[in-house]
Amino acid sequence: MRLINLHPGKRGSKILAILPFVLLFAAYLAASAARHEANPDDKLLPTLSQMAIAMRRMAFTQDMATGQFLLWSDTAASITRLIEGLSISALISFVVGISVGMVPYLKKLLVPFVAAFSMVPPLAVLPILFIIAGIGEISKVTLIVIGTAPFMMRDLILRVEEIPAAQIIKAQTLGGSSWQIALRIVVPQMLPRLIDALRLSLGPAWLYLISAEAIAAQDGLGYRIFLVRRYFAMNIIIPYVIWITLLAFLFDIALRLIQSYAFPWFAGAKSQ
Amino acid sequence: MRGIRISSLCIPRIAEGWLFNDGRLLMLTRKTFLKSGAGLAAAATIAPALPARAATKKKFTLAWTVYVGWMPWPWAAQQGIVKKWADKYGIEIEVVQVSDYATSINQYTSGMFDALTITNMDTLAVPAVGGVDSTSIITGDYSNGNDAVILKGKTKFEDIKGQKINIVQYSVSQYLLDRGLQLHGMTERDVRLVNTSDADMAAAFLTPDVTAVVTWNPIVEQIDADKGAHNVFNSSQIPGEILDLVIVNSKTLDANPEFAKALCGIWYETLGIMLSDTPEAKKAQAEMGQLSGTDYAGFASQLKTTHLFSSPEKAADFTKGSQLIATMDHVRQFLFAWGMLGQGAASPNVVGIEFPSGHVLGDTKNVKFRFNAEYMAMTAAHQL
Amino acid sequence: MSLIQIKDLWQIYNDRVVLENLNLSIVEKSFVSIVGPSGCGKTTLLRMLMSEVFCTRGSILFDGTNLPKEPTRERGVVFQRYSVFPHLSVLDNVLLPIELRSCRILGKILGSRRYNMKEEARTMLDHVGLLRAATLYPAQLSGGMQQRLALAQALIAKPRVLLLDEPFSALDPGTRADIHVLTNRLWEETKMTVVMVTHDISEAFRLGTRVIVLERPLADDPTKGARITHDIPVHPRTKTKTGAI
Repeated sequence: MRLINLHPGKRGSKILAILPFVLLFAAYLAASAARHEANPDDKLLPTLSQMAIAMRRMAFTQDMATGQFLLWSDTAASITRLIEGLSISALISFVVGISVGMVPYLKKLLVPFVAAFSMVPPLAVLPILFIIAGIGEISKVTLIVIGTAPFMMRDLILRVEEIPAAQIIKAQTLGGSSWQIALRIVVPQMLPRLIDALRLSLGPAWLYLISAEAIAAQDGLGYRIFLVRRYFAMNIIIPYVIWITLLAFLFDIALRLIQSYAFPWFAGAKSQ
Repeated sequence: MRGIRISSLCIPRIAEGWLFNDGRLLMLTRKTFLKSGAGLAAAATIAPALPARAATKKKFTLAWTVYVGWMPWPWAAQQGIVKKWADKYGIEIEVVQVSDYATSINQYTSGMFDALTITNMDTLAVPAVGGVDSTSIITGDYSNGNDAVILKGKTKFEDIKGQKINIVQYSVSQYLLDRGLQLHGMTERDVRLVNTSDADMAAAFLTPDVTAVVTWNPIVEQIDADKGAHNVFNSSQIPGEILDLVIVNSKTLDANPEFAKALCGIWYETLGIMLSDTPEAKKAQAEMGQLSGTDYAGFASQLKTTHLFSSPEKAADFTKGSQLIATMDHVRQFLFAWGMLGQGAASPNVVGIEFPSGHVLGDTKNVKFRFNAEYMAMTAAHQL
Repeated sequence: MSLIQIKDLWQIYNDRVVLENLNLSIVEKSFVSIVGPSGCGKTTLLRMLMSEVFCTRGSILFDGTNLPKEPTRERGVVFQRYSVFPHLSVLDNVLLPIELRSCRILGKILGSRRYNMKEEARTMLDHVGLLRAATLYPAQLSGGMQQRLALAQALIAKPRVLLLDEPFSALDPGTRADIHVLTNRLWEETKMTVVMVTHDISEAFRLGTRVIVLERPLADDPTKGARITHDIPVHPRTKTKTGAI
């Protein structure tokens, strides 16, 4: 049989899916054990128990300076910023994306501007942002907005344009005004697509969040990583990275679930 | 400490050090990746070989980052002084720049470099706590005003009470702040810290909600130039406590003492040139200034707040002196209080610090940080 | 009287004459089938009637006045595809035209008025045989059912003319025969004016009361546009529910 025609069975598929994780884990354990044999205090590849102790302290012991449980206060701070940033981004993109996608005058006015604006590397405007918005929460949330909104906006404009012309004509022949067509035809069809755009923006949003927290912060997951990096505490950094990955994964799943429950028609319509 | 030159104060630095490395760093990062074993099974086979490379060898690396007290290194490499001394001892010495100070320490600790320019505090907190036995062979300088606490619109240190302070946390800045608070009868509970990247400190000071910063040069100079800025406490008030050293992996040193000899030879020959009262000295300083992204005037003014031990005698004497022991005690207490001596640390005694007299602070069975005056003394005695 | 009057109509697109000097008058309550080979401009003509494209020269009068510059409620359409809204259930698709008419701001009706409207929509669905599918989404319907829904949706808006653009071309023959029967019945009940474009001549004759044939005299010559080559009245007797011409 040709390689391209060989398919793993049900169990085989599961094993294959787990395999890279197991291999990575095993490689880590082996490398960590080897380094710790040579130097029991090695910081680069902490052992599982070192990481567990560190995380137990971060999650269940009050910090002496702030009296908080750091893992949870960091997580709450980061997620708050992330949700604020993404919500503002989504709202702006949704309104702008739909208006621009629907109204030719706005399209001519704003598409080149949005296209140019989206080319601005957000991290490069950060110093300007600091001066304008200070280095507090506003600039962190703004960075996420600047980092994700142009993409979502452009994506939504494209999605609005993708609505078959026939549908818009049809809506007009049924007596719909511009406003009614926006409200009854375009908005409901764009909501699940907004969720798609949000899912794609999650990665960049985390990136900008952590960048902002690395530069100036009092709490947050990115803050913690960049803080403890000063004394090479990989036993905190590695579990934090895993935790961030897990959170990002859960966000993605949550958005997917919301999409399939709130918009049951979407999966079918997309495949047509 | 020891951050970044003024010219790259803005963002590209994060991008460089962390997100997208420039060419040179990328190479280093690759090395880190492979050697760290963070990713691949292949790492399992090379990982054990790394920390234990103590055998006699011929090729050595010294890593440095941009800071006034360390600029002699790249200049010496440029001038052929490094090669001259390496040749004399029949070895090769590579002088490598790392753009980010914290990264350079982490890379040294994971075994990538044989020698590193670093402060006394960071040596204890990272390589020593990380089980990498390190020996300081050159006591290069101490910060004599390079690190400072600056308030906006307030003129007394006491005014810091209750303020939000922008600072690179866990750096020598925090040590300075801690000492300042201590000397003024306060503790860190009296202030709130906002960890702020050194690269953005100057920009942060321009924003209205930032009222207090602790940072280092050349950022201090830049911020001091601001009308509302008041330098209320700086390292000249705790002279000799924030030390800039050259450390060498102790195992490498034991097996290859000629590496340390060569480094001392290079260092004091270079200092001799740059600190002499000649046109060559001015030229050297101008070139070092250029290498660190400033000019002669900028470099010379930073040099004023840096107490360079101009001769090996002075450096050796300082290293042998009792003040150093008291300083290191302050440092380890500070690190212990902030959990930087490791989570399992029951007391500041977990790591032993050995001084030239043979005196050990902390656990004598776990000495990981050694101050050595031998090579400086040899230089002084013209025995290189 | 004639509902639609096309006078000296030319459509020239990038130096290519698409339609050449068309004159056509469509009387109320007629079912006009426009046939012709692909590329003859019959769809372009229909799009002009719905104000999606505009003629280069000439004029179209609708009920004695110039055709509005944008689609209006008087002219309903059914396209070959994308005629129904994927995010609305079958019932909501039919309810939509009523809601758009009744509530200018939200385009959505709540409460007891909605109940009455729902009844109207259900009656229409029953009429096209979709009542049992009322809660499904279009993606869950077969092609034939989607086109029935499109017809129901267009008809409930009570347009004065219904424009059909190859509405049944994508359907398989059995389904097509069924929907022909339905279309015939609906037309007979409503006596609505219909203009249908198709490339299927038997369909044109089976449904139409008048068949217009549009052809280019020389297929390769861009300077000669399509014109009406035949205009055939179809005698009601030849229209049966089963057979072709």
